[in-house]
Amino acid sequence: MKKAGILMIIGSALLLGLFFFPLWHIHLIAPQYPEGLGMNIHIYDIEGVEEFDLANIDMLNHYIGMKTIPKAHEMWEFTVFPIVVGGMAAIGIILGFLGFLKKINPKAFLGWLITMGVLGLLGMYDFNQWLLDYGTDLDPNASIRLLDADGNPMTYKPPLIGHVKLLNFDVDSWPHTGAYLMFVGLILVFLAYLIGIKKYKKV
Amino acid sequence: MKKIVLSFALLGLLVGCGNNENKKTTQNSSSEKPKTEQKEEITYDKVDGVAVDMDNKGVGPVDSVEFADEIDQDLAEKGNEVYDVNCLACHKTDKKFIGPAPKGIFERRSPEWVMNMILNPERMVKEDPIAKQLLKEYNGSPMANQGLTEDEARAILEYFRTL
Amino acid sequence: MKRIFRLFGLALATSAIISCTPGGANGNSSSSSKKSAAEKAYVAPGEYDEYYGFLSGGFSGQVYAYGFPSARLLKILPVFSQDPQSGYGYSEETKPMLETSYGFIPWDDLHHPDISQTNGELDGRWVFANANNTPRIARISLTDFETQEIIEIPNSAGNHNSAFVTENTEYVVAGTRFGVPIPQKDMPIKDYKGNFQASTSFISVDQETGAMDLAFQIRLPGFNYDLAHPGRDKSHGWMFFTTYNTEEAHTLLEVNSAERDKDFITAINWKKAEEYIKEGKGKIEKAKYAHNVFDSQTHTATSTMKDEVLVLDPAELPGIVYFIPSAKSPHGVDVDPTGEYIVSNGKLSANVVVHSFSKIKEAIDNENFVDEVYGIPILDFDETLAGIVEQPGIGPLHTEFDERGNAYTTFFISSEIVKWDVKTQEILDRHDVYYSPGHLSIPGGNSRKPDGKYLLSMNKITKDRYLPVGPEMNQPGQLFDISGDKMEMILDFPMIGEPHYASMIHADKIKDKSRKIYRLSSENDHERVVKSSKDVRIERDGKNVHVYMGMIRSHFNPDNIEGIKMGDKVHFHITNMEQDFDIPHGFAVMGANNSELLIVPGQTKTLVWEPQDVGIYPFYCTDFCSALHQEMQGYIRVSPEDSDIELSWSLDDDVHTN
Repeated sequence: MKKAGILMIIGSALLLGLFFFPLWHIHLIAPQYPEGLGMNIHIYDIEGVEEFDLANIDMLNHYIGMKTIPKAHEMWEFTVFPIVVGGMAAIGIILGFLGFLKKINPKAFLGWLITMGVLGLLGMYDFNQWLLDYGTDLDPNASIRLLDADGNPMTYKPPLIGHVKLLNFDVDSWPHTGAYLMFVGLILVFLAYLIGIKKYKKV
Repeated sequence: MKKIVLSFALLGLLVGCGNNENKKTTQNSSSEKPKTEQKEEITYDKVDGVAVDMDNKGVGPVDSVEFADEIDQDLAEKGNEVYDVNCLACHKTDKKFIGPAPKGIFERRSPEWVMNMILNPERMVKEDPIAKQLLKEYNGSPMANQGLTEDEARAILEYFRTL
Repeated sequence: MKRIFRLFGLALATSAIISCTPGGANGNSSSSSKKSAAEKAYVAPGEYDEYYGFLSGGFSGQVYAYGFPSARLLKILPVFSQDPQSGYGYSEETKPMLETSYGFIPWDDLHHPDISQTNGELDGRWVFANANNTPRIARISLTDFETQEIIEIPNSAGNHNSAFVTENTEYVVAGTRFGVPIPQKDMPIKDYKGNFQASTSFISVDQETGAMDLAFQIRLPGFNYDLAHPGRDKSHGWMFFTTYNTEEAHTLLEVNSAERDKDFITAINWKKAEEYIKEGKGKIEKAKYAHNVFDSQTHTATSTMKDEVLVLDPAELPGIVYFIPSAKSPHGVDVDPTGEYIVSNGKLSANVVVHSFSKIKEAIDNENFVDEVYGIPILDFDETLAGIVEQPGIGPLHTEFDERGNAYTTFFISSEIVKWDVKTQEILDRHDVYYSPGHLSIPGGNSRKPDGKYLLSMNKITKDRYLPVGPEMNQPGQLFDISGDKMEMILDFPMIGEPHYASMIHADKIKDKSRKIYRLSSENDHERVVKSSKDVRIERDGKNVHVYMGMIRSHFNPDNIEGIKMGDKVHFHITNMEQDFDIPHGFAVMGANNSELLIVPGQTKTLVWEPQDVGIYPFYCTDFCSALHQEMQGYIRVSPEDSDIELSWSLDDDVHTN
C-alpha cells in the first residue's frame, strides 16, 4: 500500500502541471503567416505563443465577424478551473498520504479517478461549447460574410482536436504539456488503484 | 562608377564581338606602326610636342579627303557654326586649351586623321599612336564624341583651313 | 516538447496544403519548355530584356521602369514626387510641374500607370499615371522617359480609379474614390448621404503631341468608385467602374460600407456623352485646376490655372450611366481582350462575377431595369451575368488576360493567383504567392492583344521573403512564366514603394525611339542655353544674378566666379555641351538649400542658390563623367552686400567682366 500511496501522490500532483503548462494549443498557419499564429489555452487564461499573436488573431477574425478571444476575467471557467484542479490535486495528495499510512481503502483512489474523469469530460464539453460559440456566433454586419458549399453562412469553429482548413488558414488543435502531464498523472492514479487493491485484498 | 562599368562593357564588346573586323583593325594598326617607326627623321610639332606624321590617316570611317584649291567660304562658315557649338568648349582656335588648337593643324596632321579624330575619338585614342600621345600630353582629358555627321566634320575642316 | 507538437502540427498543415492545392502548385510544371526557372529569368550581361514594365511606386509617387524577365530596374521616372537625384521638382524648369490649385506639392501617391493604345493595342507612345491624393493625371513620354504633362482634376477626391486609357487613347479616364461636396463647401460630415457627390473625368489626348485637356466630367452619386477599365472592341465606347459604399457611409467604412451583399459596376457610355456635348448639352461650371506642361524643346515647364469645366448630369441626360449590381465591395473591374466579358473582383466575396457585355447591352436596349437610384437606372444582376467563378479563392482583387482565353486573378486573402477559363469560368490552375497579392500584370493584359508569356504578381506583404532590413520591408514582386498550362514562378524580387499596378510592353515598341541626346543645334530652345562657349556670361538683374554656364568633360565654363554679394539670388543656368550618348554631368554647390542637377547631353537646367554667408564656395560635377571627373569643379566668391567687387567670371586665364 506504501507504493500505491506514493503513486497516488505523484499522480495527483502532476495535475499541478496545469498551473505551469498550457492545457491545449491551437495553431494557425496561412500563406501570409508562414510562421503561424498560436494560442495556448491555460486553465486560468488564454495566451499567445508570441507576444502579439492574440492581437493578430483578433484583428484577422474581426473581418469575418468573430468575437475577440476572451480575457481571463471574461469567462467563469478561468476562475473555476484552477479551484477544481487545485482542489482535486489536494484531495488526491491527501488520499495518497492516507493510503501510504494504510488508513483508507484503495477504492477511494478509483473514486477520485472517476470524479476527475467526469470533471475532465465536463471541461472538454465546456471548451467545445466555447469553440462552437466562438466560431459560429458571428457579427451579422461583418465585412466578409461567406457561404459554404451548401449556401449556408460559413462558420469558423476550430476543431476540438485535430486539423481543419478554415478559409486560408490551416488550423491545428492539440493537447499541450499540461494535458499530457495530467494524462500521465491519471494513469499513475489508476496504477496506484491496481497495486493498492491487490495488496489490500492480500491483507 | 557607372561610366567605368560602361567603358569596361564597351571594351568587352569590342573584344568579344565582330571578331573578323577586329582582327582586321589590329592588323591595320600593327602594319601602320612599323611604318611610323621606320621613319628615319621624326619631326615633333612645336605646339603640342607630338610627332608630325602627314601619312597617318588615323582609324575611322574616312579614307580620303580632297581639298579644293580655293577655300569654300560657305562651307567654312557652316563649319565655324558647328565648331562653336560642339568644339569651342575645349579647343580655342589659336592656343592650347583642354585640347590642341586647330590653327595650322594641316601642317601637322592629315585631313583624314583630323576627320577620324572628330568622328571616332574613342577608338583613335586607343589605337592611333598620335592620338595616344596627345591624350597623354593633355592630361588624359578625352576627346568627346559629339556625334557629328561626316558632312559636319568636313565643314569643320574647311573652317580650319581659314584659321 | 512544445516544439515537437508544433512540428507535428506543421507537418499536418503542410500535407493539407499539398492535398488542398489542385495541380500541385509547387510541383513541376508541364510547361512546354524544360528550362529551369533561373534560365527563364536570366538575361545575360549585355543582353536586353524582352519587355519593359512600368511599375507604379504607390506612396513613392514615381514610376519605375524595369526590364523583364530579369526584373532589372532600368530607371526611376519622377512623376509626382520631387527627385533630388535628377533635380526634378527642384530645378527651376521642373518646379511648375508640381504646381496645383493648392500650391506646390512635393509628393503624391501614384497608383495605376497605363500605356497609350491604338486600335486596342499598346503603342508605346506614353504612359499615363494618376495622383491619388491631390487628384492629378500625368503623361510620361516614352521617347524621353520624362514626365511631360500633369493636369489636375477638379471636383474629385481620391483619384483612385485612374488613369485608364480608352482603346485609341481618345481619353484618359479618372474617377473619384471619396464623395465630397461639389462644389466644396463647409457642411457637417454626417450629412454625407445624398449631399456628397463624385465625378468621373474624361481627359482628351491630342494624338500628335499627347497634350491633355479635361474634356468633360460626369457627375455621379456620392458612392466610392474604386477601379476602372475601358471597354474594348465590341464594348469600345464604354467605361466600367467598380463602385462600393453604395450605403454612402461616412464613418467606419470597413463595417458600414459592407452591409449590402451587392455593390455596383458603373457603366458609362462615353460615346453617348459625346453626342450630348455635340448637341450643346451639359453645363460649364467654375472649377480651379492646374495644367502643367513640360516642353522638351525649351526644356522648361509652364503651369497655367484653368477655371472651368464642362459637366454632364446623368439624371438629366439619360443613356450615359447605368448601375449593374455586382459582387460585394469590388476592387478591379477588368475587360477581356474581346470586350465581351467584364470581370468584377468582389474583394469581400468568395466568387468572381463575370458580366456579359452583350447581355448588358440587351438589358439596356430593352430598358430592363429593376430600380433606379438618384435618377440612374439599375440593371438586373442575373440579366447581365455571363457566369460565376465558384469558390476560386478568397479576396479576389484584380484580373488580367492572356491571348488564349484565360484569365488570371489575384486573391489577396488566400494569397494566390488562380487561372481560369473566361468562357466556361472553369478553374484551371492555382499558385500560391508570398504574400497577399494586390494587382498583377501581363504584357498587354489590359488590351485587345495580350502577350501571355509572363505574369507579374505585385504582393503587399513581404514577411520572411528576403533578408530582414528592419520593420519596413520592400514589397515582393513575383514573376511567373505563364506560357505553359501551369503557372511557374521564376523570380522573386523586392520592388520600390507600393506598386499598385504595372503596365508591361514589348521592348521593340519603345527601345529604338528612345532619345539619346538633345541636339544643341536643333533640340534646345531654352531661353538661357549656352550653345557655344561664346554664349557663356553672367548678367546681373538687381539682386538676381544669372550665370550662363557650360559643362563638358571635364570642366565648367566659367569655373571661377567673383562679384556675388550677400542677398543675391544666383541662378545657375547650366548646359551640358556634350553630344555623346550617356555622358550626363551633375552640378552641386555647397550650402544650396536644394538638390543637385543632373543634366544630360544637350540639356539645360537651372538651380537657384541663395548664399547664406560671405566666403568661397566650391561647386563640382556629381556624376563620374571621365577620368578627370574629380578635376571638374569650380569656385564662387561671395562678398559682403556693400562690397564693390565687380562681377567677373573666368576659365583658365580668360577673365571676363561686363
